[in-house]
Amino acid sequence: MDPLLSVRDLKVEFDTRHGRVTALAGISLDVMPGETLGIVGESGCGKSITALAMMGLIPNPPGHLTDGQIVFEGEDITRASPRRMRQLRGRDISMIFQEPMTSLNPVFTAGDQIAEAIMLHQDVSKKEAWEEAVELLRVVGIPEPRRRAASYPHEMSGGMRQRVMIAMAISCRPKVLIADEPTTALDVTVQAQIFDLMRDIQEKFGVAIVMITHDMGAIAEMADRVAVMYAGRVIEQGRADDILDDPRHPYTSGLIGCIPALGREAASAERLPPLAEIPGVVPPLHLLGAGCAFADRCPLVHDRCRRERPPLAPHGMAAQEFLGGHAVACHAAEREIAA
Amino acid sequence: MSFDGHPSAGPSGAAPLAEQPLLEAVGLSVRFPMPKKSPFADRDYLHAVRGVNFKVHAGRTLGVVGESGSGKTTTAMAAVRLTEAYDGAVMFEGRDVLKMGPEALRKQRRDMQVIFQDPYSSLNPRDRVGAIVREPLDLMDVGERKDRADRVKELFSLVGLRPDQMALFPHQFSGGQRQRISIARALATNPKLIVCDEPVSALDVAIQAQVLNLLRRLQDQFGLSYLFISHDLGVVQFICDDIAVMYLGEIVEYADRPTLFAAPRHPYTAALLDAAPSLARRKSAGYSRAGAVKGDPPSPMNLPKGCAFAGRCPRAQPRCKDEKPMLRPLEGAKVACHFPLEG
Ligand SMILES: Nc1ncnc2c1ncn2[C@@H]1O[C@H](COP(=O)(O)OP(=O)(O)OP(=O)(O)O)[C@@H](O)[C@H]1O
Ligand SMILES: Nc1ncnc2c1ncn2[C@@H]1O[C@H](COP(=O)(O)OP(=O)(O)OP(=O)(O)O)[C@@H](O)[C@H]1O
Ligand code: SF4
Ligand SMILES: [Mg+2]
Ligand SMILES: [Mg+2]
Repeated sequence: MDPLLSVRDLKVEFDTRHGRVTALAGISLDVMPGETLGIVGESGCGKSITALAMMGLIPNPPGHLTDGQIVFEGEDITRASPRRMRQLRGRDISMIFQEPMTSLNPVFTAGDQIAEAIMLHQDVSKKEAWEEAVELLRVVGIPEPRRRAASYPHEMSGGMRQRVMIAMAISCRPKVLIADEPTTALDVTVQAQIFDLMRDIQEKFGVAIVMITHDMGAIAEMADRVAVMYAGRVIEQGRADDILDDPRHPYTSGLIGCIPALGREAASAERLPPLAEIPGVVPPLHLLGAGCAFADRCPLVHDRCRRERPPLAPHGMAAQEFLGGHAVACHAAEREIAA
Repeated sequence: MSFDGHPSAGPSGAAPLAEQPLLEAVGLSVRFPMPKKSPFADRDYLHAVRGVNFKVHAGRTLGVVGESGSGKTTTAMAAVRLTEAYDGAVMFEGRDVLKMGPEALRKQRRDMQVIFQDPYSSLNPRDRVGAIVREPLDLMDVGERKDRADRVKELFSLVGLRPDQMALFPHQFSGGQRQRISIARALATNPKLIVCDEPVSALDVAIQAQVLNLLRRLQDQFGLSYLFISHDLGVVQFICDDIAVMYLGEIVEYADRPTLFAAPRHPYTAALLDAAPSLARRKSAGYSRAGAVKGDPPSPMNLPKGCAFAGRCPRAQPRCKDEKPMLRPLEGAKVACHFPLEG
């Protein structure tokens, strides 16, 4: 199967007071039709910039997409005209954000905003669009959808607003839905409802989802495949189960190790042992050197790591081959696999 | 005044339960006046905390967990009198904090300090971090000037910062480092109790692990008690010995850690556990949330007559809507539910 959306060697830089800083240092990803690709990593690693690039929304200035391609159904959209990009956005590729309040217009009702999104891409009357909006609100699980269509965003709870965002995002049956931390602002019981809804919608409409999160638990629940990012790079990529059960990059296993255990299995009368720690902090992007960005925090570091950046694929393997499997950007992991 | 630590907990596990708790809240209630709808209307109140009872024991951690708006912060702040309670008592080593005069309260503050959630806004951006950590010592006249400077150095090393960083400003530190500064400040007066209001919620999980381990090391070293607020059950299970689950201003379940996590009895506690993402629940395996709750919490301005959770509860019966369940003992826990789950 061909990927629906392929990112190849994408590079994004920003003008900052430290000069030109590389936010994405050549990342490659594939999104297959109908699957959920999880993108996980700590704050500042480049998750949102990756999402914005897929939407053609890198703010310029100060951002610059300096290299690489984003291929959607055979078309390199980094070269698409603004007009063509507006056409794709919302219709073929749509996005939901962390805080729905900032992306909904406070002075229009939920129904108006969804109807507007529908009329932008489809040749339907106002009345038809409104009926479709009500139907979408029902699909995303809003009770009394006809009454709620006439409500303003501030009259709704955070969970309901996120449902409205999802209704709007799927209104034109997109092929890719990008969700950037869609539940971070919500309570955990409401997050569970939104996750359930996103899985339902995927099943119903076959939409591919790019799920951005810093929560490995959310990855486990939502993702078929995962890309783990660190300091502007994808450092490990593969099937979610492989990454979670058999992480190869010391950063990935570190991240998994520092999550506190939860529930009956950990309900011992004894105190739980200290959490595993990754020492230190993520280095600022403008101070990254030539070697592996994780070297200063890595328990497996050796000389070569500081000199030479480990590539994501094992040497000599084409991108196409490795992206289907389990790829790691680590000299130590590579040695282990070769052995 | 010396800076000697309190007797520390045993090498393994939490401190044993003493006869008298360090802090005990009895019937603690907080309400906030709402703006009047007209000059002649009666004033409405938002009842943020409604008659909660809890104990923090010496050397142990009481966790308060619940969703946004359930009253966690208000409860904790009322317990250390940073928010005014309108009813109840808070006994600290046998004396009611709510009845203390200004001077007694000022002295009392040495023993009860606070760490806030947001490491960005809780530190004054214009002060050097050395001065920030020293501030409680100055305010409470603890020790001689020279001793204070030494104490600040010592605190920096205790929380894993370098003393040569004392002259820097808050913005020159990462989120995790700023939280270490907050912790050093809270430790300065050698308190017995530290209220931790979501101290790791704003941090990435890798940094969160560093800070949680640090908090536990410090607890063991100084025999500290924590009143620890979090909405993350994993964090609570790691650091807390006893746990109070709050819903809409009330405690709905109260138990020690092994009891609560082995078998949650209140449907809301079970729902929280069920909703928390877990590495074990995989998309590839397909999974279902049997006890998933519907909807959002009701508004605190508009409290139902019966159980506050009834509208969302998968176990609710007609009785739940009519009759309010009281918090009552149930096999080692306390639960406010007419139809609690099997143990
Ligand atoms: N407008 C901008 N100007 C300068 N730098 C930027 C800008 N937007 C993003 N960056 C930088 O790009 C990097 C990646 O940012 P991005 O927002 O993608 O991180 P993220 O992984 O989404 O983090 P978070 O989890 O905090 O949302 C960061 O180091 C950030 O500082
Ligand atoms: N100063 C105030 N004035 C009016 N209402 C307030 C005030 N502080 C809190 N409240 C209300 O009291 C209730 C409890 O709030 P509180 O901040 O204690 O909740 P919380 O459990 O700490 O929530 P969160 O997880 O969001 O921090 C909420 O309904 C809140 O809106
Ligand atoms: S009292 Fe009834 S509604 Fe409330 S939690 Fe128990 S079963 Fe549910
Ligand atoms: Mg982001
Ligand atoms: Mg709070």
